[in-house]
Amino acid sequence: MSDSSHAPSIIEVENLTKSYGPYKAVDSVSFSIKKGEVVGFLGPNGAGKTTTMKMITGFMAATSGRVQIAGFDVFENPLEVKKRIGYLPETPPVYSDMTIESYLNFVAKLKGVESSRRKALVERAIQKTDLGPMKHRLIQNLSKGYRQRVGISQALVSDPEVLILDEPTVGLDPRQVAEVRSLIKELAGQHTIILSTHILPEVQASCQRIIIINKGKIVAQDTIDSLSNRSGSAGRVHLRVLKSSQDLIAQINKTPGVKRLTQNDLDFTVETDGLGETAARVAESVVKSGSGLLELRQETFNLEDVFLKLTTSEESQ
Amino acid sequence: MRAAFVIAEKDLKTYFQSPLFYAVAGVCAIIWSLIFGLGLFQFQDASMNQMIQAAQDGSAEGINFHRTVIGFFASTVNLVMLIASAALSMRLLAEEKRQRTFDLLLTSPVTATDIAVGKWIAGTVASWALLAVSLIYPLSVLFFAKLEWGPLAATYFGLMLITGVYVAVGLFASSLTESPVLAVIMAILFNFMLFFVSSPANMADGPTAKAVFEQMNINAHLNTMIFGGVAFSSLAYLASLIFLFTLLTQRVVESARWR
Repeated sequence: MSDSSHAPSIIEVENLTKSYGPYKAVDSVSFSIKKGEVVGFLGPNGAGKTTTMKMITGFMAATSGRVQIAGFDVFENPLEVKKRIGYLPETPPVYSDMTIESYLNFVAKLKGVESSRRKALVERAIQKTDLGPMKHRLIQNLSKGYRQRVGISQALVSDPEVLILDEPTVGLDPRQVAEVRSLIKELAGQHTIILSTHILPEVQASCQRIIIINKGKIVAQDTIDSLSNRSGSAGRVHLRVLKSSQDLIAQINKTPGVKRLTQNDLDFTVETDGLGETAARVAESVVKSGSGLLELRQETFNLEDVFLKLTTSEESQ
Repeated sequence: MRAAFVIAEKDLKTYFQSPLFYAVAGVCAIIWSLIFGLGLFQFQDASMNQMIQAAQDGSAEGINFHRTVIGFFASTVNLVMLIASAALSMRLLAEEKRQRTFDLLLTSPVTATDIAVGKWIAGTVASWALLAVSLIYPLSVLFFAKLEWGPLAATYFGLMLITGVYVAVGLFASSLTESPVLAVIMAILFNFMLFFVSSPANMADGPTAKAVFEQMNINAHLNTMIFGGVAFSSLAYLASLIFLFTLLTQRVVESARWR
């Protein structure tokens, strides 16, 4: 693991495997997550994200391997583990014939929250997910976005150490997506959070660390920064000019810091050493050659590239 | 066990807030009204005949109201409860699976036993509420007939136990499927099997086999209780049926983890 700090890990997953006959939905996945971390579980549909999460929650038994939460083995001590987990499944597990408030009360009781704390915790969960004005409404009359929020609220209500959110922003409108992301950031200090998604900006927005999973296997797990280095996209500069000339190409190639130049008619991609000055010097060279600089864009870190690279290279094997 | 009561409480609230319970209770009340009225009518006829008979030959044996009216009514209540309990328990687990709330139960700190027992308590208490509705009919004749309280209590105690069996069976059926409709059909079939499981008694060779089959007759147990006798063997048989089907449900719930 790239992180060098030795904070105690709260989630410990070792060689977790789930097979359906000869097919392995999850294939010896191992990772550990420290207290207070927000980890994104990233992968294409059907990669095994949900299955892994279900095994962590104790909802599903693993074929082999081990999961420990706060030192308790999911298999040996499921009740202790479940007390510490708030889980939002793919479909929010809501009873359509209950009101939001009575539903959250029921979940709190089910999770063993003492009656002295219940009222405050239900109120907190309602307030965090912005459901206050709706709390006396029946869940069956709510839109999909609101149901999703009730689902998140339900995961929060017992104030668990670990939150496991399976695609928390599915079905929400852009404003609500932003709200959920800021909520996750807000919760980050108090809870350890695993969230799964196939939406890339989501992990970039809310996670400190990413685990990329494809076809049941972990293909990468790292911080966003180290993944961006790996992608090699940080040093790329895109250019568009009015007219191309031999002089222009020569000028750019001469610029210190430039490694490689590829041309596509009037569009150029310059691979540099990644420093800001290099990009500035490239701009200068273009202007000097009199080619008419129309556009210069420094490629920012693109998780999509890393993701595609990792998940498709796996496929070609 | 704490969690079992939390689940039972929630499901009971759902029962009494849903139209299903009142629809079932309404249909049951219609059937029972007809049957009880019919029972009274037959009793009146029989008493009349008996009085004519008595006037002719001086015999003085009266007809027992409890056995003819209440006994007849109780067997109908039993039959109606067989179907009504199946209808009340059909949603207990099937609906949880269909609505995906089963995920919530399985990821909460509750055991499969809590889930099975909690659901059984909820279904049984709701069915007992229905039995309480049927109690209106025997009580309605209080003004003009003398009720035999002991046998009446024994009869209803028996009906409560038998209803518990029907709910356990219905809950088991409900655990097997996501569809409440399929669950109710299976539950009624299973319940009828319990009715007929004793029929080989007449064909049995040895006295032991015959005794075993006779012991499995739910109706025979109920009839003993209608006559006012609560046998230990009845309690043991009905309680073990409840235990068996709740255990089967518990196993099915537990097995969800392994699929």
